[in-house]
Amino acid sequence: MKFAISREDILKPLQLATGTVERRHTLPILSNVLLDINDGVLSITGTDLEVELIASVELVQASEDGRITVPAKKLFDICKGLNDSALIEFNLMDNKLVIKSGRSKYSLSTLAAKDFPNLEEWQSEINFAISQKSLRGLIDKTSFAMAVQDVRYYLNGMSLETQDQTIRCVTTDGHRLALSQTQLENESLDESQVIIPRKGVTEILRLIDDSEDNIYVSVGSNHIRLTSDNFTFTSKLVDGRFPDYRRVLPKDGDKTVTGEKDYLKQAFSRAAILSNEKFRGVRLNLISNELTITANNPEQEVAEEVVDVNYTGDDLEIGFNVAYILDVLNALQSDEVKITLGDANSSALIEDNKDDSAVYVVMPMRL
Amino acid sequence: MAKKIIHVDMDCFYAAVAVRDNPELAGKPVAVGGAKDRRGVIATCNYEARAYGVRSAMATAQALKLCPHLILAKGDMNLYKSISQQVRAIFQQYTDKIEPLSLDEAYLDVSDCQAFNGSATLIAQAIREEIYQQTQLTASAGVAPNKFIAKIASDENKPNGICVVPPDKVTDFVAALPLRKIPGVGKVTAKKLANMGLETTADVRVFSQKELIDRFGKFAYALIERSHGIDDRELCLHRDRKSIGVEHTLAQDIFSEREIQQVIEPLFDELCKRIDAKKQSKHIKKQVLKLKFNDFQSTTIEKTVSELKKSHFMALLQAVLSRQKGRSIRLVGLSVGLTDSDITEQQLSFSF
Repeated sequence: MKFAISREDILKPLQLATGTVERRHTLPILSNVLLDINDGVLSITGTDLEVELIASVELVQASEDGRITVPAKKLFDICKGLNDSALIEFNLMDNKLVIKSGRSKYSLSTLAAKDFPNLEEWQSEINFAISQKSLRGLIDKTSFAMAVQDVRYYLNGMSLETQDQTIRCVTTDGHRLALSQTQLENESLDESQVIIPRKGVTEILRLIDDSEDNIYVSVGSNHIRLTSDNFTFTSKLVDGRFPDYRRVLPKDGDKTVTGEKDYLKQAFSRAAILSNEKFRGVRLNLISNELTITANNPEQEVAEEVVDVNYTGDDLEIGFNVAYILDVLNALQSDEVKITLGDANSSALIEDNKDDSAVYVVMPMRL
Repeated sequence: MAKKIIHVDMDCFYAAVAVRDNPELAGKPVAVGGAKDRRGVIATCNYEARAYGVRSAMATAQALKLCPHLILAKGDMNLYKSISQQVRAIFQQYTDKIEPLSLDEAYLDVSDCQAFNGSATLIAQAIREEIYQQTQLTASAGVAPNKFIAKIASDENKPNGICVVPPDKVTDFVAALPLRKIPGVGKVTAKKLANMGLETTADVRVFSQKELIDRFGKFAYALIERSHGIDDRELCLHRDRKSIGVEHTLAQDIFSEREIQQVIEPLFDELCKRIDAKKQSKHIKKQVLKLKFNDFQSTTIEKTVSELKKSHFMALLQAVLSRQKGRSIRLVGLSVGLTDSDITEQQLSFSF
């Protein structure tokens, strides 16, 4: 195997592939990336057995085909450390990958490509194209509500649903739920629902940007794949039943509050300072057109914030984890927020007043 | 500097109170507990009764078999509580560092007490004397550099005795202590240890620590430390209530789910009353159902909840019945586990 490539051409794909490689792994070959030269194209593969990323780049210079694996982090650090415009030559000799650039020469240990784990073969059942920007929006609006290492393993990820023209993402940790959706024109998708694991979701966020460029999504029964011009990313799916969001969306909330998102965000952020550091509870008192937020902590320090809102219902006192409220306010896009409440023990529905592409449900706290 | 811990233990407290208030019982075997025909158990008995082999927690029926002329006195919780407060007031003359273990037992840390030139032995004697003066009841005391030794020591010269283990005698004291004496080593653990050839602290000291840890986990550390006479535990001055429960030994064994449900109904009301009385209704984190079968095996099953509901107990009952295996049931208990008392904030969850 032999090829040459400029530092700037290899750095991006190498960074993408290296990103999926776990730092500490029991299986030595999993700290390696697979380099594959095939007919003038270099593909770099990194995997942790859960997710796999293949980044490809076309080689300008003549090359000899071959496959080998080398330590990911070392290879990346060597390439990164070279001069910006450096041309790097790679040559496999006696089970060592020799890297040469100008007066620098490195010899890296290798492991055989045939031992590099491949994800098993799978069939895709749902296929669609979506702009990177739209996909990013869906995930950005919901990923914060994924559970972290919950015993209900199916909550440690994101539910992705397709139904006709609709793509829907749902996350929940049992205390709050986030839902975002978008419509795809010219599509008519079968109904499906899968759970992307947490690691897969964070990797996808790392890979996609805010551009209008399309990304191609294929979903099988156990895998999801995202394909762009630069990479192919595959993640295993979580095998489990995600809770039905329809059962969580509150229906009988009769108290509607609307208010300026930024004022609310600032007031909650300040009040949060004096909430109990562990439990983060704040008390909301609603009277006609006025919301009072109070917080106190074990040191008996007290915060009180009064915010003008639009509200005409009965007086209500209800408690929330202020971090959950702030997460939602940070995820909302528009200036005005709408909160629908029932009683002190019922969940709050929070959404953009004008935009229904995302809704949030937060369970209250008993204070 | 070594700590000075006193463990004070009232001598067969409930029975002693009964004898004190009914002098004609003096010298006779007396026990406090539930009646035989109501399937009661012995709470405490005096030394005359112990001579016949009567022990606390024994079924009254069995106690009467061992000692047919055993005099059974009725308990009076309110009286015991008031005496316990009296005794506590005596402790407070010497130190604020008091850890009550029950109504009749407490640890005192007198490391900082200046009375009697700081002699823990003299303080313990003064406390025992004062208890007798005020209540006409005797107490035994153990004086030692830590809780564990103090507790074992208080048992050494019972009743109405004292045992002092100064720091330089701790090693001798734990030289070959039966492991059963170590708090936390009950019947089952003692048997497991015996199966491994471990009978006394001397055996543990020379045994492989790794093997003990593999076998017993965290408890192994305590076992090894105690076997060397080490116990760094501070006194727990503020003990948080961890659970509230009610249980009922049935007048007659029952068998069917329906019958158990009928027992749970009034027990649940009683439990609610108790929780309200202690103002803990906002701190409930789990519900626990306990059943004791006619072979005296008991089983518990629990569920994490955010709100106390009778239906949770009924659901637990259904789940636990698979453990019944044809046995009838002699006791039903309901309890709730509480969150730490400083937790006043509780996040509610979706019910999916």
